[in-house]
Amino acid sequence: MSEAREAIIIGAGHNGLVAAGLLARKEIRPLVLEARDHIGGMLGDQSFRVSPMPFSLRPEFLRALDIDLPAVPMATLVASPSGKTIRVSGNRVEGCDTADAEAYEQLARRLARQAEALSGMLLRPPPSLDGNSFRELLSLARTGLKLRGLGKTGLRDLLRIALSNVHDLIDDEIGDGPLGALLAMDATLGGAMGPRSPGTVLPLLYRMTANAGQRMMPAGGPTALVKALASKVETAGGEVRTNAPVKRILVEDDRVAGVCLESGEIIRAPLVLSTAAPGTTLLEMLGPEYLDAEFVRRCRKMASAGMVARLDFELSAAPALADGTQLTASDRLVIAENAAAVEAAFNAAKYRGLPERPVMEACYDAGRGLLSVSAQFIPCNPEGGWTKVLRLKLEKAVKGEIARIIPDFSKLVLSTVLMTPQDIETAYRVPGGHWHHGEFRIDQLLMLRPFDGASNYRMPVEGLYLCGAGAHPGGDISGAPGFNGARAALAGRRR
Amino acid sequence: MAKGQKMSPHPQVPMGLEAGPFHQQLDALNGQHGWMNWMGFASPTVLDNMEFEYFAIRNQSTLFDISPMCKYLIEGADAEKVVNRLVTRDIRKLKTGRVAYVIWCDEDGNVIDDGTVFRLADNSIRLCCQEPQLAWLEDVAWGFDVAIRDVSREIAALALQGPTSAALLRTLAVGEVEHLKPFDFAPVRIGRKKVELSRTGFTGDLGYELWMKPEDAGTVWDALLQAGNQYGLRVIGYQALEMARIEAGFLLPKTDFLSSRTALRPDRTSTPFELGLEGMVAFDKPHFNGRRALLRLAGSPPRRKLVQIEVDKDKPAVNALVYHRQKKEVGMVTSALWSPTCKRNIAYAWLDAPYCEPGSEDLWVEIYLQKEIRWQRRMERCRIVTKRFFSHERRAATPPAGF
Ligand SMILES: Cc1cc2nc3c(=O)[nH]c(=O)nc-3n(C[C@H](O)[C@H](O)[C@H](O)COP(=O)(O)OP(=O)(O)OC[C@H]3O[C@@H](n4cnc5c(N)ncnc54)[C@H](O)[C@@H]3O)c2cc1C
Repeated sequence: MSEAREAIIIGAGHNGLVAAGLLARKEIRPLVLEARDHIGGMLGDQSFRVSPMPFSLRPEFLRALDIDLPAVPMATLVASPSGKTIRVSGNRVEGCDTADAEAYEQLARRLARQAEALSGMLLRPPPSLDGNSFRELLSLARTGLKLRGLGKTGLRDLLRIALSNVHDLIDDEIGDGPLGALLAMDATLGGAMGPRSPGTVLPLLYRMTANAGQRMMPAGGPTALVKALASKVETAGGEVRTNAPVKRILVEDDRVAGVCLESGEIIRAPLVLSTAAPGTTLLEMLGPEYLDAEFVRRCRKMASAGMVARLDFELSAAPALADGTQLTASDRLVIAENAAAVEAAFNAAKYRGLPERPVMEACYDAGRGLLSVSAQFIPCNPEGGWTKVLRLKLEKAVKGEIARIIPDFSKLVLSTVLMTPQDIETAYRVPGGHWHHGEFRIDQLLMLRPFDGASNYRMPVEGLYLCGAGAHPGGDISGAPGFNGARAALAGRRR
Repeated sequence: MAKGQKMSPHPQVPMGLEAGPFHQQLDALNGQHGWMNWMGFASPTVLDNMEFEYFAIRNQSTLFDISPMCKYLIEGADAEKVVNRLVTRDIRKLKTGRVAYVIWCDEDGNVIDDGTVFRLADNSIRLCCQEPQLAWLEDVAWGFDVAIRDVSREIAALALQGPTSAALLRTLAVGEVEHLKPFDFAPVRIGRKKVELSRTGFTGDLGYELWMKPEDAGTVWDALLQAGNQYGLRVIGYQALEMARIEAGFLLPKTDFLSSRTALRPDRTSTPFELGLEGMVAFDKPHFNGRRALLRLAGSPPRRKLVQIEVDKDKPAVNALVYHRQKKEVGMVTSALWSPTCKRNIAYAWLDAPYCEPGSEDLWVEIYLQKEIRWQRRMERCRIVTKRFFSHERRAATPPAGF
């Protein structure tokens, strides 16, 4: 048995590192255990990043951790039917019809206001459904006050659209087209819902909460971010170990007692925070014997079919779009003609088929000549399984779509790496390879995230906390669940 | 009564109900044609006269068909773990050949149902209960190495209860009767058929339950009835058993308490503490369903309790409300009866805290009596009783007395 620790954090993804950093600042020196050979979780390492665009980072916790990481604004590019490139940065649009640009800007500003009002809610534990404590009531009241700041009409509008579908919003406010494709992608990326699925406006608002909708890339990219987080943990006395997969969470007298690694090594600790997916943590590492049957059922029934595949294309030269626009490191490219095309791609995946025309977002790492593509909707478990033939078919379809936008593309490609949702599932131990560690939909949000009865980070076994993307407020490189979860663990210790 | 009566070739089955394994036999004796629905089966309410049937329970022997009970077989390496996770008692101590009365709770610590578990072998346990539980059992067993099977239709069962029941079995050369203690069970042969005999029942008196294959039901029935001739054996319906059940202090789901799975209003559920079953909650065993909620609940007094009360005079307090100082409504009666054996007017009642504690004074029940189409209201004093109304030493004596 190894030396006992004050706290163990399972997973060295960004949420694990944020939680570890926060604990370490409060003089609880955590040991972070990571199954893979590198830290960063889906942010990955030089060889492959599942998650290449950390745009949703919350400045609040960077401040709380004293991390000074400047961020650069990113623009999103999308091609118009005529082949002209439209450039959107924050709420500003260039390269299209003034009327279209104005309609989009107006809508974007409106959504940003609403996102801002919701924003506080995401950096706090979700309100609970029963027996509100005074603190919870207070925090709820604060969010309430913020929402009231929207004014009566604004609030009514938020309530009206939050549960509606993004396709209707697009049709009503800007009309479907390339800008509609942008909104439809941001609303659905990572989930198993198409733009016409109800409840798709809410994820869009969630994504706009960081920096009021302006996408920002931390200077130095994912590498710098992971490095900054890890060094905060280590300088404050924490330790990060890679190649240390946890097999079991140990329990004694209904309290967490430590973990047992796959190697058989036992490490004792009174506090365990897991950033692995809820099902992985609760049903595999902890085990149903410590949980009530209803709790187990809700955990089992969590929807978590991932629908995003990642492809890296090594290119021989920087790519240019049809109108000559160069794709730079501070651009994000969205490839989808309109919201209807996004919906069409979803239709196939719904029935476990590959879409003929996948939709995607991409970014270009000029230093390494790498185009990183997140293609959706690619089913985790396609009809007939992930055969070699199907993998090639997917690669071909993705390449074909990119070539419509980057005419020289096929000539530029030197090599391709593909990770299907199933590959991600295996590599990162996330059910379904899901972007958010569990579907991001209305019955799995807020006090229902990851599921009813498990929403305030504290798990039923004393000393166990859940603070990865599966927890409130959800996935993306935001750091919010890790931040909230660590704060809940600190509050739990004080009690 | 049974003797010489001809069985009708086509027994009647009430509309919408199913004939159980003893239907033909019951139908032949059911002079009242009184049937009720028990899990979809036709179950007799009363065969000829409820009083006669009741007194047969207390003075002779009775046979009641309990085949409609839900029965589940839980088998596999984790059978004990799963059942221990289901119920609030610690069944790790339950040896093969023993039965235990158990309750189980939801995650909020509210009771779902009660029943009995039979330890058939190390890795094999049978659960008998009133309400279907398969879906719940599957939920509880998820992730464990067990197979759960609904064996309700694979087992026919009879309750043989009453002071002469052991003597009756002796004449059938069932030697096991001599050493079967309460809550023991053993394989025996009756009419050459294999029967599992358990010393269990709902009457608070000497009695047995017999478990057999449905195809053997007729043979076993005939053997029992024939042997029963000289012991006053009477086939009975539900109503007489219900009287004995109240006297013996057994709770009836849907009457005395509501399963948390069927209650729509959250305050209609009940915890083991409210049902007076705190002795059945073993906090010193591994996690079981509802344990954490029950620990929390154990820390504060229950909001109300189901208690036994004794009422003045002889009018049963059926459906009565309970008052403090004849004014403040503090509870209600769920089951009530003038007990002919105890010669007491008894009932179960839900009483709000703090009136539910033993020794509470100035409690009254409001009884309505109809006399020639006019209703009369009467207030009668009542008090909480902690001892069982009916429990005979015969129940536990081993070897059992002749009669
Ligand atoms: C294809 C794809 C593309 C994405 N692109 C983006 C993007 O561009 N921008 C964005 O903001 N978000 C993106 N996301 C979402 C984002 O990657 C996740 O929401 C985020 O990584 C979640 O962070 P986390 O720290 O909670 O979990 P993770 O990053 O998944 O980290 C969890 C860590 O726990 C480890 N672990 C699991 N089990 C164990 C165990 N038993 N023992 C030890 N360690 C264990 C895993 O190995 C992993 O390193 C993408 C997701 C996918 C699937």
